[in-house]
Amino acid sequence: MSTAAPSLAEEALYLHRSLFGETPDPVTIERYAAAHRKLFPNDAGSPLLARIVSRGLDVEAVEFALRRRGAGGELTRKIQILSYLVEVRARYQHCFVSIEPGRAKAVVELAAAVIRSSWKFVKGEYLVRRHGLR
Amino acid sequence: MDCVDAIVIGSGPGGAFAAYGLRGKRVLVLDVGRDAPAGERLGGNVYDLRRTRDDLFPELIGAEFESLHNLYNRPISLKLKSPFMSFVVRDWRRLTPVVSKTFEGVISLAKGGLANAWGAGVYRFTGQDLRGFPISVEDLQPFYDELTSHIGVSGANDDLVPYFAHDDALLPPLALSPLFSDLLARYGQARADFVRERSFLGRPRLAVLTQPWNGRSAYQYENLEFFQPRIPAIYTPAYTIDQLKSEGAITYLSGRLVERFHERDGQVRVYARNLDTCEAEVWCGRKLCIAAGTLNTARIVLQSAAEYDKRLPVLDNPMACIPFFSLRRIGAGLAANDSSLAQLNWIVDDLDSGEAIQGTLYGATGPLRSDVLFTLPLSFRANLTLLKHVAPAAGLLMLFYAGTETPQSYVRLRSSGELEVEFAPTGGNPAIERKIIQLLRRIGYLSHPALIERPGMGQALHYAGVLPMRAEPGPFETHADGRLSGTAHVHIVDGACFSRLPSKNLTFTIMANALRIGRRLARELS
Repeated sequence: MSTAAPSLAEEALYLHRSLFGETPDPVTIERYAAAHRKLFPNDAGSPLLARIVSRGLDVEAVEFALRRRGAGGELTRKIQILSYLVEVRARYQHCFVSIEPGRAKAVVELAAAVIRSSWKFVKGEYLVRRHGLR
Repeated sequence: MDCVDAIVIGSGPGGAFAAYGLRGKRVLVLDVGRDAPAGERLGGNVYDLRRTRDDLFPELIGAEFESLHNLYNRPISLKLKSPFMSFVVRDWRRLTPVVSKTFEGVISLAKGGLANAWGAGVYRFTGQDLRGFPISVEDLQPFYDELTSHIGVSGANDDLVPYFAHDDALLPPLALSPLFSDLLARYGQARADFVRERSFLGRPRLAVLTQPWNGRSAYQYENLEFFQPRIPAIYTPAYTIDQLKSEGAITYLSGRLVERFHERDGQVRVYARNLDTCEAEVWCGRKLCIAAGTLNTARIVLQSAAEYDKRLPVLDNPMACIPFFSLRRIGAGLAANDSSLAQLNWIVDDLDSGEAIQGTLYGATGPLRSDVLFTLPLSFRANLTLLKHVAPAAGLLMLFYAGTETPQSYVRLRSSGELEVEFAPTGGNPAIERKIIQLLRRIGYLSHPALIERPGMGQALHYAGVLPMRAEPGPFETHADGRLSGTAHVHIVDGACFSRLPSKNLTFTIMANALRIGRRLARELS
């Protein structure tokens, strides 16, 4: 059974909450939608996003698993658009840039990132197979 | 018809310095001349701005989402896509179409040309580099010296002097980022190992001011190179064009796309399209200097000869990008007051090819992280963490190999007006790349051959050699004074007339050669 594609605003909301753990401001949502309208005017709604949103799936895990398979280019692109839009906002700088030196903190965070990434890969593989995503 | 002394086509390094050499004559510069957005500036250190200004969307992404270019279009250099920089490549596909299966480069129709977004590397050609040219180092030397004095060149007389030449007029070099300061110190300690492998490190020669010079201010370490054009400390030929305009030394007409020329009665007629009115225009000069950029220079020459079968040779530097990083610097924190310009040069003197292969080392903190986020091997959030902590500890060595002439690398004008550009595939020199990685490891920097990327041909943006200078030129070749064979008054003054393309940025030599030819023409006109 097909699922109705989410609106671009719903996509932005879901992706942002999943990836940054909070609701984005209206400006980010509007820019996300405007970017799609301008750069990909012929894109129909994304069936992949529709399934992810309707089933509440872990978008980071699914994207990573699909990327490792050389698939899911559309999902990767959508996340990258969102990433560009937030990277130029002051309140997200801590996600992208570390100004303060702190070797121990960096090593711990990097180790945690590798473990997290491994976990996301396993989870993503499961979700991709379980839900027939591609 | 009024006839000027000389017409110069183009305002890049060749056009600007041919016009500069022709000062004192009536000179008309015809140019498409797309210009940088007026009055729009970031005004401060990019990392300070990113922390303190709530929203840099208009400046870093753009109302037309310019910075997202590579998500929906043929990828271009990260330096060419931000909103204030995108003018450098605006309209080129529409106005000067190229068809190709292999060409991954771009053309600039901007005032100042691709040198609006260059790395500002200014390297003198040595005798070894000029093999095959009908001119020598001595012919270029006074013009290199004059340019150094005119534009201001920073650098140092260090281990790279045998490759870059000794220069007493250099300004002090730029301050190094902590990563490269460490790398250079370690090179000093392991220098004997490097020398044994015929590898040498040193400071780059840059057209970047480290002190005020000729009315321009010194470099401010604001890390704006990916986002801000016309940073006063970084030279662009547009400055020379503006200077010549303000002195009344040239008449500069933008919005003109030159299509062809024709010699008659000791004069050259130049046929252009006015892009504002769409009307055809004809201009007359006693001399013509073509510097439309190598590919468009070829287009104009072939169109003028109505030659649609001829394949002209074309050269570009094949590249290899070698990423490396230092475990010691992980967690060091980002140095906000930094530069995205070249930090160091690495020369490998390759005895097998007789070529000194040149690499340029850059830091990794210039572009937006989102540009490279998905080239990393982890999940989204993990990649963010990786970039945050590893970017200040990482660098990139961009290795440029000499361009080689092959039958598979050519340009041809189609009767439809499209320029066919093809390049033979190239694989670089894995033995040299392995040697570099071994030396990096020896001084505590990690890399691996599997990480090497090879940008597609054309991405070096060092196009050259379509109408090469020869001692005895044949058709579609040029004399030592840049004069196109078979013509009396038409001179090629950009990279198109290069006889070969060594492993070295060609821009400074384009400038010096254009100045040489411009001066010579000025004397002839007298």
